[in-house]
Amino acid sequence: MIVHTEPVMGTMVSFHVEPGECPVKDARAAVVSACKKLHELDAVFSTWKPESPLSRFRNGLLGVQDAPSDIGLVLDMCEEAMVLSQGWFDPWAMPGGFDPTGLVKGWATEQALAILRQAGVEAAMVNGGGDIALLGLPKGQDTWRIGIRHPWRPDALACVLEASTAVATSGCYERGPHLINPKDGTMLFDTASATVVGSSLPFCDALATALVVAGDDGAELARSLKGYDAYLIGVDGKEEATVGVVFAEATVV
Amino acid sequence: MTEPARSTRGRATSTSELRRMNRVPAVALASAAGFAGILALHASSGAPVLTGARLGTPGSTVPRTTAPSTTSSLPPTGTPRAAVGTSEQYGYGVLAVKVAVRGSRIIEVSMAKLQTAEQYSQSLAQQVIPTLHNEVLSTQSAQINGISGATYTSQAYAASVQSALDLLGVK
Repeated sequence: MIVHTEPVMGTMVSFHVEPGECPVKDARAAVVSACKKLHELDAVFSTWKPESPLSRFRNGLLGVQDAPSDIGLVLDMCEEAMVLSQGWFDPWAMPGGFDPTGLVKGWATEQALAILRQAGVEAAMVNGGGDIALLGLPKGQDTWRIGIRHPWRPDALACVLEASTAVATSGCYERGPHLINPKDGTMLFDTASATVVGSSLPFCDALATALVVAGDDGAELARSLKGYDAYLIGVDGKEEATVGVVFAEATVV
Repeated sequence: MTEPARSTRGRATSTSELRRMNRVPAVALASAAGFAGILALHASSGAPVLTGARLGTPGSTVPRTTAPSTTSSLPPTGTPRAAVGTSEQYGYGVLAVKVAVRGSRIIEVSMAKLQTAEQYSQSLAQQVIPTLHNEVLSTQSAQINGISGATYTSQAYAASVQSALDLLGVK
């Protein structure tokens, strides 16, 4: 098992790679390539660096036709995610201008996993600051088991879910109130944490954010999602989940 | 094109029923041991095992109404032991981690010491702490592979955990 942690995108991205038939040196090289890719994407999409193509795009200094093609790709995904989320994910409604951060972290993490897949590794998990992209199966297990961070106990898990491809969690606990309701600009929500499990990590990422800011409408939105399942924790501690969510139940000594 | 057309067209499909969860969350079962108290897992299709349980409410020791259905990963036996790892620089200050084990399995990881350098706010340190539970779990437990929702991580955290494990004489 190759384990690597890379500080990038303002967070830590961890790699767990089971090379399998892939030569270990090739698997290691793939991890290096994946990290390089993350730094490249960070340089393009950083909203903190005024010289980044995204910063220049949102300030009107760079047209999409002159921007790196990845920006056009992310714009398309953002539109799709906005439709899927019934407007609750809206990078165009952020203060300071277009901000696709809620989708880009998941997308970049998925890109990193794609490099490992191309290298032919047997199994891998890339955890981009809590957005998780999965490939294959962990050794000796028939499923990936992903702990969901407890919304107000940083050293605890709320539950453990089974997943095969992608998991993203959004909540207001991590960086204080930073999420914004795109429909009225408010920043306080009745949903403390939302987790989305599905096939595409960028959409899981965007939808998790959407489900938090949707508040009372989150349950209805979760029901409407085709191909994605959701697990919600209210600020009152109430949990809700769509039928496709599989909980790994705990037994404690 | 600098601003694609906005659309909020909704979807009418409703293929899945949202269910109200009465499941006892893992952390409540694990009580003060937090996530690390999880020692055996089996899939649940969501059948309620208790009613009225909520995350974080004082019902943390309520008995389960269903028996554990797995025998494949029996918990290690023995008395829990704990050690505090070395104090490590973590970028914003100093931290030390307390680790409790039963046998060789970690059953609890918590912060024994957390000092933040003056120029950084305590809240920033709090952000760093959710940290590398991820690494700890993946190397020490075959049960949980990763954690979703915990953003920050720290090599210092892992180093302190390792030193605590060394003190406990487990790998």
